Amino acid sequence: MSLLAEKTWRLRKNIEQDQILLALSSKFNTEAVNGVESEYQFYDDFDADLWQSDYLFCGLNKGTFQLFQKNKQISEVRMLKQPRFYWDFPDGLVRDRLKKQLKYRALLPVTTLSICTTNFLLRNNDQKIVVKGRLTRLSPDEQYFSLQVLRGYEKSCRSAESILDSSFKEPIDDFNLRYLLLKNGAQDLQPRKSIKVSITPDMPVENSVRRMAVAMLEQAQLNVEGTVADIDTEFLHQYRVNLRKVRSLLGLLKKVIPLVMLEEVKPKLSFIAGKTNKLRDLDVFLLDHDHYRAMLPLEFSSGLNELYAVIEKQRKREKHSVAKYLLSEDYTANMAYCLSELAKDSTFEHPISRKPVLAVVNKLLLKRYQKMNLIVAAFHIETPDEDIHDLRIEFKKLRYLIEFFIDVLPKKRTHQLLSHIKKTQTVLGDFNDLCVQIEFLTAYRDDSKIEMTKALSAFIAILYLQQKQLRCMAEKTLLSFFTDDMATEFNLLYGALDKGVLK
Amino acid sequence: MKVIACYSMKGGVGKTASSVNLAYWGAKSGLKTLLIDLDPQGASSFYFRVQPSKKKWAERFFNAYEDLLKHIKASDFENLDIIPAHLSFRNFDTLLASLNKRNNRLKRILKGFKGEYDLVILDCPPSISHLSEAIFIASDTILVPVIPTTLSERTFEQLLAFFKEKKYQNKKITPFFSMVQSQKTLHKSTIDSMRTRYKTFLNTSIPYSTDIEKMGEHRAPVDTFAKSKPANRAYIELWGEVSAILKGK
Repeated sequence: MSLLAEKTWRLRKNIEQDQILLALSSKFNTEAVNGVESEYQFYDDFDADLWQSDYLFCGLNKGTFQLFQKNKQISEVRMLKQPRFYWDFPDGLVRDRLKKQLKYRALLPVTTLSICTTNFLLRNNDQKIVVKGRLTRLSPDEQYFSLQVLRGYEKSCRSAESILDSSFKEPIDDFNLRYLLLKNGAQDLQPRKSIKVSITPDMPVENSVRRMAVAMLEQAQLNVEGTVADIDTEFLHQYRVNLRKVRSLLGLLKKVIPLVMLEEVKPKLSFIAGKTNKLRDLDVFLLDHDHYRAMLPLEFSSGLNELYAVIEKQRKREKHSVAKYLLSEDYTANMAYCLSELAKDSTFEHPISRKPVLAVVNKLLLKRYQKMNLIVAAFHIETPDEDIHDLRIEFKKLRYLIEFFIDVLPKKRTHQLLSHIKKTQTVLGDFNDLCVQIEFLTAYRDDSKIEMTKALSAFIAILYLQQKQLRCMAEKTLLSFFTDDMATEFNLLYGALDKGVLK
Repeated sequence: MKVIACYSMKGGVGKTASSVNLAYWGAKSGLKTLLIDLDPQGASSFYFRVQPSKKKWAERFFNAYEDLLKHIKASDFENLDIIPAHLSFRNFDTLLASLNKRNNRLKRILKGFKGEYDLVILDCPPSISHLSEAIFIASDTILVPVIPTTLSERTFEQLLAFFKEKKYQNKKITPFFSMVQSQKTLHKSTIDSMRTRYKTFLNTSIPYSTDIEKMGEHRAPVDTFAKSKPANRAYIELWGEVSAILKGK
């Protein structure tokens, strides 16, 4: 059976199924298949990653879960327990797709729709099905009727359409679950991770910095509830990312904001961020569980189990401590202070504060690049690892500076440049992660726990070898970034404006 | 896209019943299937309750596949469409005789359906003619239902001889026993001797069954009204063998 098309109309209020059948029976032999009532509980993560990628994930009765892509059901799984993360699902399409979309995010209930669907078969005198119909009912006021045009029977469909014309309120173009969700309160399914601050190239730079800082702090605050409730580890991660960005922004543009405010706000933000460091380190280690397990031979598994037990216990304590802090008056007061200070009108204490944002940012980007170029030029084979880590931080600052002001920078070429920076930063980041992991694991050595310490020593040895290999790669990556072409690109992109904006 | 012809130069051997049930199972296993009823009697169209267009269109049949498109009708089953037969199809032979490159015409026309269908099943009229030759060339597999009787055996041998004479690929010929009455000694002995001589016979035999006859009453494939009966099981088994052959090609 080929369905050529499906047309859907919203029905006028209070039209009953029997009325539809009666009307159609003037021309067709009609049959209504028993209506199916289903309650769809839709899920997505905090950032609506599924919705944004055109997926829908819902739970039906009796532990059945369905995954839709572009409004077509692509898979179904049955679960005994309520799943939260992709790794709670059995191997298969659902797990794979959710892994890609959600990563470490938890599934959260979004909304519920109760839908009753009744299918209709319209037959001709030979009892051949010539049209198919479907009544979708959410409430007496919200009903839809769909007609499916069967190949070779287009005329019959037109005939059914004209019979029901007086019951139709309006045609619906794209009738599907997504449409029904939008009609029924799915406005929550918007991404929450993007910060939208409108800045223009000629806006005074202090204004733009204040606006951005406030938006970032508000964005960080959005993640507090999820962090306290420990819904998933991404809440804390995003919270920290936003705090880091504010601190970085204030540091990068310290000359455009009042010094007194800077001296008050920056230490407060550093203190708040510092309170969450330990929990994030523990999360990173626990999230990499599978990777770590795969690194060591089976004989180390009892030591590894012991280590995980220690770390999980520690995480529990840290989680309570962070939650307690984020709910404390001290935290609330400090955050409110930072927000209110940053939200104040610009004071233009420094002459540069009034300069157009684009000119200031261009100058800063060029200056930063030149500084980094000089650092790399002095690198040699025995340059300490710490210097490479310092350069990684410089890269991060450069990247943030570009990302913060990307709306006013030349779009295409800046994006290309950004992608190059990200690649370099990834290698440097991986190198740094290994050093951090070694330091993290070393702290757990305990002579009274022989098996655990054996596993730790094995880990550290492997990580140390990897670190050596990555060091070479980091050096090569840096050389491939700081080329003459890149210097020209920076000059072309950001060096063509007024040179006197920064003293 | 694969093309299967249900063919025999002898009438009443179960070509239409096989076409209808194989098309049904092909579609049910997920293949986009088109059944073309080439027999002007229109029995397979009747079984699916599909009426042909009133216009005589046989003379356009071998022009271009676009001419066939507007005659495709949806069946009541998912993935299965039908081009119903028209009485004017009885003139196919005269028509083909007047055309150039007549033997390749059907193959060329069917190529047009490649993007839309995975499987085309041809329900063929009982004859050996220009149309039959076009069918032999267009098909990947020619399923030949054989009633295990002396006359059917003779007809099958005639088909093999014809293929040899015309140098057609006789490996396309895939016979299977049809309307088998296992209690009859003649059926048993014919099956034994033909299986010994011709190794290409499929393992499945379709029994002589009132359930298959009842297709006319129900106007539907056997599975829809006699799900657990031997006739239905035989068609499922036949489809299993045929689909394995198609996968191997």
